[in-house]
Amino acid sequence: MSAPHLLAAGGDEFEAPGLHIFDWGPLFSGGPSWLDWLTKPVLIVILAALALIVFAWRAFGNAQLVPRGVQNVGEVAYLFVRDQVARPMIGKDGDKWMGFLFTTFFFILFLNLSGVVPVLQLPATSHIAFPIVFAAFVYVTMLFLSIKHQGFIGYFKNMMFPPGLPKPLYVILAPIELLSNIILRPFTHSVRLFANMFAGHLLLAFFSTVAWWFLVEKLTPAGAGVGVVGFLMTIIMTGFEIFVQSLQAFIFTLLAASYIGGALHPEH
Amino acid sequence: MVRPAMSEEEHRPGPESDPSDDHQSFANAAWSIPSYVLSGMAVYGGIGWLLDHWLGTSALFPIGILVGLALALYLVYHRYGR
Repeated sequence: MSAPHLLAAGGDEFEAPGLHIFDWGPLFSGGPSWLDWLTKPVLIVILAALALIVFAWRAFGNAQLVPRGVQNVGEVAYLFVRDQVARPMIGKDGDKWMGFLFTTFFFILFLNLSGVVPVLQLPATSHIAFPIVFAAFVYVTMLFLSIKHQGFIGYFKNMMFPPGLPKPLYVILAPIELLSNIILRPFTHSVRLFANMFAGHLLLAFFSTVAWWFLVEKLTPAGAGVGVVGFLMTIIMTGFEIFVQSLQAFIFTLLAASYIGGALHPEH
Repeated sequence: MVRPAMSEEEHRPGPESDPSDDHQSFANAAWSIPSYVLSGMAVYGGIGWLLDHWLGTSALFPIGILVGLALALYLVYHRYGR
């Protein structure tokens, strides 16, 4: 489970894995330069996209009235996203957004889960570029829908001046609303996903490195106990990471739906 | 002996309250807190920092951050709390 490449080369001291475990050069080093873009995170994104396409194809491509096999799984997944995310957050017209929300949830879920898939073992979303692109998609959609449904002035009015406050307070509170909605919301949206995946991957790498170092590389009677703890913690943290990865994919989709719902129905 | 029965009665959601509405406002409030809090601290901490810079004082920056924090929480309460 532990990968020797996590350890810094040489040295007799245990060294905890640092930021270098996120640096991935071209997959085929020394290969042709036109293949330099193909790094491990990029490969994981391609695999996750293919997995999602195949899953959706098998589940919904030839839908039967009485579902069998993969279609059963697909329908449960669809109902989960529709009843837990789309309808509560957007309302009656939430079903129209199911294509977007279903894809978002499962694509991000697959990218997150690649952190515990053997051999891959890197959540692609621990590179902030990917969450930023997802959050940017949601942000642009949210801005477009808001201005389309509320008008340009109406959007800023609804956002910055929530009804029911004494007038002098608006001067104080409007800048907070503006900064929060326009600048910080996409920021927290992407950073929340990125930071969870980043920290989780570091933790897993740390405990598995401890286990590898003290049980395999430098096995001593005194260090074996530490190694066993590291080994057990690796197993526990793997289970915990699966939970966090699923939760963060869900939260990202939930927030995307919440922003879209807020754009369509500003009164909420 | 009447009280417990009454309080139990109060906690039961009435038929008119829509559970999806509760769910939505709770989720919205919970997840909008970070960006509101950051925003409040940035705006009023920023103003405090600028005033400190111009007036040569040093207390307005932390005061601004606290004021911004309080205002942001008030805003969250106003938007989702009732």
